[in-house]
Amino acid sequence: MSDDIAVGIDLGTSYSCVAVAREGGSPSVLPNEWGERTHASVVSFLEDGHVLVGNDAKKNIITNAEHTVASAKRLIGRFFFSDEVKKAQAVMPYGIVEGPNSSVRVEVRGRRLSIPEVSALVLKEMKAIAETNLGREVTRAVITCPAYFNDNQRQATKDAGRIAGLEVLRIINEPTAAALAYGFGKDLSQRICVYDLGGGTFDVSILEIGKDVFEVLSTAGDTYLGGDDFDDRIMAWLADDFLRTHGLDLRQNKFCLQMLKEASERAKIEVGRDGAAEVLVKSICQSPEGEVLDLRQRLEADQFNRMVMDLVQRTFKVCDEALQSARLTAHDIDAVILVGGPTRLPIIRTSVRHYFQKEPLTGVDPDEVVALGAAIQAAALVRGDAAEGGQASYLLDVTPLSLRVGTVGGFAERLIEKNTPIPIERSKTFTTSRDGQERVKIRVYQGESNRVEGCELLGEFEFTGFRVGYRGEVQIQVTFEIDPNGIVDVSATDLETGQRTSTTISLSSGLSEQDLRQAIDDNAGIELLGRAPAGV
Amino acid sequence: MDAQALIEVETLAAVLDQLDYYAVLKLQPGAGAAEVRAAYHRESRVYHPDRFAAAGSAELRATIGRIYRRINEAYTVLRDDRRRERYLADVTGPDRARKLRFTEADEAQVKEERQRRIEEQFGQTPNGRKFYATATQEARGERWEAAERAIKSALVYEPANPRFKELLAQIQAELEKTRPRGDYRIR
Repeated sequence: MSDDIAVGIDLGTSYSCVAVAREGGSPSVLPNEWGERTHASVVSFLEDGHVLVGNDAKKNIITNAEHTVASAKRLIGRFFFSDEVKKAQAVMPYGIVEGPNSSVRVEVRGRRLSIPEVSALVLKEMKAIAETNLGREVTRAVITCPAYFNDNQRQATKDAGRIAGLEVLRIINEPTAAALAYGFGKDLSQRICVYDLGGGTFDVSILEIGKDVFEVLSTAGDTYLGGDDFDDRIMAWLADDFLRTHGLDLRQNKFCLQMLKEASERAKIEVGRDGAAEVLVKSICQSPEGEVLDLRQRLEADQFNRMVMDLVQRTFKVCDEALQSARLTAHDIDAVILVGGPTRLPIIRTSVRHYFQKEPLTGVDPDEVVALGAAIQAAALVRGDAAEGGQASYLLDVTPLSLRVGTVGGFAERLIEKNTPIPIERSKTFTTSRDGQERVKIRVYQGESNRVEGCELLGEFEFTGFRVGYRGEVQIQVTFEIDPNGIVDVSATDLETGQRTSTTISLSSGLSEQDLRQAIDDNAGIELLGRAPAGV
Repeated sequence: MDAQALIEVETLAAVLDQLDYYAVLKLQPGAGAAEVRAAYHRESRVYHPDRFAAAGSAELRATIGRIYRRINEAYTVLRDDRRRERYLADVTGPDRARKLRFTEADEAQVKEERQRRIEEQFGQTPNGRKFYATATQEARGERWEAAERAIKSALVYEPANPRFKELLAQIQAELEKTRPRGDYRIR
């Protein structure tokens, strides 16, 4: 049936990938017209109003730096005042400005775009690639996100899908998707660990596979650790060295910085593949005397390993945490799956082997496995008969962060513990504190600290329309629900009358329904370069 | 989805609020951790929302969602040894009707209990804990004099700790055994 198709999209920090699982066949990655299987998550806004996405856009990072947005995923679902945004402002050549409700906007060619709108353009390109490849319209997708993403980030990812004109069937976690791609249809009974080091995030999930059931036992992560940090180390080394020899700081100029960044990424890949890298950037800058200078360096594997050792060690702290939550030791793990480009580095492979005392699995492509898993899940969600056909698989995932509500004195009281299976719900009763009170406000947080400062604010919910009475007399039961996407929903009822009260979100980093509609319209009007207009 | 299965779903949804967690997972009260996990996997194969994502009405999906959330809730409580213990006591006790779902108060009590056990085990002060750990280690190595010194130091910090006193008594009994006996004892 023509309706029965949905793709899986791995929306990565640096690269994205799209795959499909056709009926009866194994899942496969959909390449673009040039045979490229992964596509840079870079969006370049051209002078003529066209938008370029993918590996070609990446080339524009240097020539069209101020209007080319890269690593948007690092900013998605974050508040403007967060550290990550400050860090991005320092290194990114495009303008990052504050939008309403402390949200983040990027400023390109005089327009202000929210981060989901930028990610939507990447998704639109993935959609177009899939449509060209399959020769038909694609409107439904499963999109992956890091397991350690919080509610704001998941909601924003889902919004991005909607803006791109996709019905998002499910947001699934990247490590879970990888595990699904690995274990699907193999009839395994194993405990596995997925070590997912992406461009901007690091995730570890421990799963128990019992034939068709994929139960996540625990998940842990660091949303501030990824391959980009490895590049930064090389970059700092190159720049410091250049400063010493020429007295010029390459980091002062955003144009030089982009060249430096690109050279660092190349050097990292080369040193991982060949054991040493020659760095050569011709005419990177001009000295005050007008002399054109080149950047020349040689990076040895030993030296690189020393530079990044602490980053590698940080990943194993996260592994410790995940194993501890699952009440297991490294010895209990039957197989280790590596996901993400940086896991190709020999230093990572050696360290993983050392930590788990086990050879990590080969034969799983770290760049594509997530998209393949998402494709399997997408196919399962559109095909109602999958369960009867013996093709079924069930993902039993968990919430990565504890859900809390703010209480007096700046404390955050825990309602749902991290690593609790989802979907789940939990109720809590609130009472009014004043006579004749008409509204009750609560703030919802996610995080592991019992102080609100240490947690991420998800939003402020306001309940109205309940019975008005003396203080302490009115009891409102608030139900917190985490849906299968890991997205939090809050609703309330008056305990005595059983009537649902109306809920409004008065503070949130996300887009309002109206903004979303506007964004969908705007997005439909944007033409991607090299693609037929929307609607094939 | 056949009519038989539909009826089953409807019946389960109707009585959901009267079931305890064991019944939700179709287990006998008192089942252990391994059985709980197996039951969770079994019920997931039946009631996982993904199975109904493309089939059935929105109402059916909402009902399934409600059932599956309860299954997850049951699993969360029963997979944990301490919580399971507490819950079993609750639902087999006289207050059964009110204790079908694990509440905040239960959670707090489990936490308190856990804290108490840890404190009892290792002492309430950092120094007490440190010396107690040394004492147990020395005792394991059968260096009784050293063990006695350490546990006495621990008791300086926490004179009332019953576990410390118990260990001291044990060590002193051992010391008594190894002490040389005979005529040459100084009187």
